[in-house]
Amino acid sequence: MATLEVKNLHVEIEDEERKTKKEILKGVNLEMKTGEIHAIMGPNGTGKSTLSQTIMGQSNYHVTEGDILLNGESILEMPVDERARKGLFLAMQYPAEIQGVTNAEFLRAAINARRPENDKISVMDFLKELDKNLELLDMSQKMTERYLNEGFSGGEKKRNEILQLLMIKPNFALLDEIDSGLDIDALKVVSKGVNSMRGDNFGALIITHYQRLLNYIQPDVVHVMMGGRIVKNGPADLALKLEKEGYAGLRDELGLDVKLVDED
Amino acid sequence: MTPDKLVQIATENNEPEWFVQKRRMALDVMDELPLPEIQRFDFHNWQMTPDVSQKIRTSLQPNQNFVLTDIFDAINEYPELLQKYYMQKVIKPDENKFTAYHTAFMNQGIFLYVPKNTVIEDPIEINLEQNSQAPFISHILIVAEENTQFSFIQKMTTTGDQSAIANCIVEIVAQANSNIKYAAVDELGENVTSYLSRRAYVGQNAYVDWSIGMMNSGNTIADFDTDLYGEGSHSEIKVVDITSGRQQQGINTRVTNYGKHSIGHINQRGVIMDRSRLIFNGIGHIINGASGSNAEQQNRVLMMSSKAHGDANPILLIDENDVIAGHAASVGQVDQKQLYYLMSRGIDKKTAQRLVIRGFLGDVLVSIPSKQIREQLIQTIERKLENGQQVSENSK
Repeated sequence: MATLEVKNLHVEIEDEERKTKKEILKGVNLEMKTGEIHAIMGPNGTGKSTLSQTIMGQSNYHVTEGDILLNGESILEMPVDERARKGLFLAMQYPAEIQGVTNAEFLRAAINARRPENDKISVMDFLKELDKNLELLDMSQKMTERYLNEGFSGGEKKRNEILQLLMIKPNFALLDEIDSGLDIDALKVVSKGVNSMRGDNFGALIITHYQRLLNYIQPDVVHVMMGGRIVKNGPADLALKLEKEGYAGLRDELGLDVKLVDED
Repeated sequence: MTPDKLVQIATENNEPEWFVQKRRMALDVMDELPLPEIQRFDFHNWQMTPDVSQKIRTSLQPNQNFVLTDIFDAINEYPELLQKYYMQKVIKPDENKFTAYHTAFMNQGIFLYVPKNTVIEDPIEINLEQNSQAPFISHILIVAEENTQFSFIQKMTTTGDQSAIANCIVEIVAQANSNIKYAAVDELGENVTSYLSRRAYVGQNAYVDWSIGMMNSGNTIADFDTDLYGEGSHSEIKVVDITSGRQQQGINTRVTNYGKHSIGHINQRGVIMDRSRLIFNGIGHIINGASGSNAEQQNRVLMMSSKAHGDANPILLIDENDVIAGHAASVGQVDQKQLYYLMSRGIDKKTAQRLVIRGFLGDVLVSIPSKQIREQLIQTIERKLENGQQVSENSK
């Protein structure tokens, strides 16, 4: 079993043009184990993506206090690639496009990055695994010979993130708004992919605005984030309650002094 | 070399009188001519004009549908075509010191003639091997008659590691409605100083597409030019270049629009490592009368080291009002977003950097007409980048 712990995490981001710093996360606490699916819900601008990017190690986000532990070991000083090789994966909201590098080549490089120099994956094993996962995600083989995310539609990009997840098989996946811009069919496919990963060696942290995705990927725990903190934890039906009452309702119930971005 | 000696060597090589005289006249004017002009790049002390006496013959597979032959055979077998086109229609001997030197001392060459209405399915592939023991004065003359279509792939490598010079000219005559793709992968050795001049004359509604992978390891100056004479003529010039070590490269890429509604696009990408220097000049020239024409260019370089020098200079000369012209130039660093994305999948920083650089070069790579050559070029790029990364590591 692997564990991921976020302890009293404070994160600020620098505005390069204005040379000002802004605190986004103000003391986040979270504990996850493999075998569990967690969901983080919350209104826009509340720091959900900041949390996932900080766990992954994106350099624009500066940890000013607190710690992130993977299997009890602090990862704050580790570069992004090392965190990934230790078992973290972030399915991104806006994946980068790279022309000239095929999807297949990229996937092989990512798999081989985890393996010793004298034990690279064989072409046969790679293709077998790839075919299996393409089929699961209802993706055509042509997708793998296309250049990485280049010219992919929004839905294709999301599927491609999940394809990587299935190929790389991390211990923990952070899924950042994997449902945004997806129609219902694509949403089902993406969910099928994530659900196929479920098991004792896999945990996921699903970031979403909407309860809809959680109909397809049942979480074990739901966390609600507001104003840079997790303000409520609960079982799966917390999401349903939120959907009904909205974030403002929960805020008022908890008596929080938080301004919601989209609130006029 | 004395004119008499030059004439004697040429005559012994069985060259016809007109060709020998062309050599001789070029030799006569060579010393008075200026160096080619490469803006913002100084190479006046490069030694580029040694005497040459040895000829290099090239054996080529004959084909029924077109002529592909050694240039010394061509001057005897196709004298009319050669007189009409060789250093005559596209590039002139007296343009500069190096074109004159080339004409006087040319010692290796290929002639490709594609007759009217010929479509060649498979790319024509040529491997030029330069031996570092002798100067390499190489000429490729391509004449495409009306309504022809084909791809030509040229690779160039060096054997041996002595210091040598290479002076390589490619002339393309693209007659009306012809469609030509020319891909070059240049991999001259570290101790080879080279001058490369490639130019196309493009006729009415003809199209010439250049994809050039400049992977030379030695000092290089280059002129990649297209003259769009025909109405509706079109050219795309794509250049990728990686410099490393203490290499110096100056590249002029020029398109001149003479014809109405002609289209010329330049897209150059350079990666500058270590202490090397790379200058990209993109020159777009629209001549008065070329109304409705289009000249656009992008020149971008990536600086991989604080000790590297590089520049991307767009130069637009426009003598006509009714045109579309534009340019973009940048000198930048590796795209951090792409780097982060790759590293977030566990790929180490150096490998990720190489992949990002390949993405930066992608525009040109994807347009190379043969998968095999494209993959070879990718391997060469990987090797160059790995070596460059190693050198940077060691000099820290």
